Amino acid sequence: MSLATTIVWSATAMGSVTAGLFFLRFWRDSRDRLFLVFALAFFVLSLNWLTLVAAPAATETHHFAYFIRLVAFILLLVGIVDKNRR
Amino acid sequence: MAEAVFALCALTSLACAALLLRSYRATRARLLLWSSVCFVGLALDNILLCIDLIVVPDIDLSLARALLALTSVLCINVGLIWDSK
Repeated sequence: MSLATTIVWSATAMGSVTAGLFFLRFWRDSRDRLFLVFALAFFVLSLNWLTLVAAPAATETHHFAYFIRLVAFILLLVGIVDKNRR
Repeated sequence: MAEAVFALCALTSLACAALLLRSYRATRARLLLWSSVCFVGLALDNILLCIDLIVVPDIDLSLARALLALTSVLCINVGLIWDSK
């Protein structure tokens, strides 16, 4: 994992937090739970990228980061399906 | 086990992208378009992850994946800043 990859992943984590904050604001204004789910998912995604930056590629923790990513996408799927049913 | 997680990440992100694209086609809300573009990018990132870690493990595609993820997240941020009220 190069320095460039570390920098880009860190920037992506920051971007993800920003998106999460936007969705949190939308939830605060509308009380639509889809926005809350999106906010949580983007916060979890940022955790994924931060874990990838923090953990060296050879360790088990590195693969655990992808499990965190899976949790985020499952959250999103549940939120989107829930919204489509309402 | 790890391969299963990578594959599931790719599948769930593809499903998210497909559902968002379907919602955009129904509502024509621009924020949904930006979200769809973001999740298509994240789905491609996950597919590239599978290729990187399973198909060609001796080639490091982490920078390409990182740039794809950054572009995707930038897209949704552009949409949130530009097209949300």
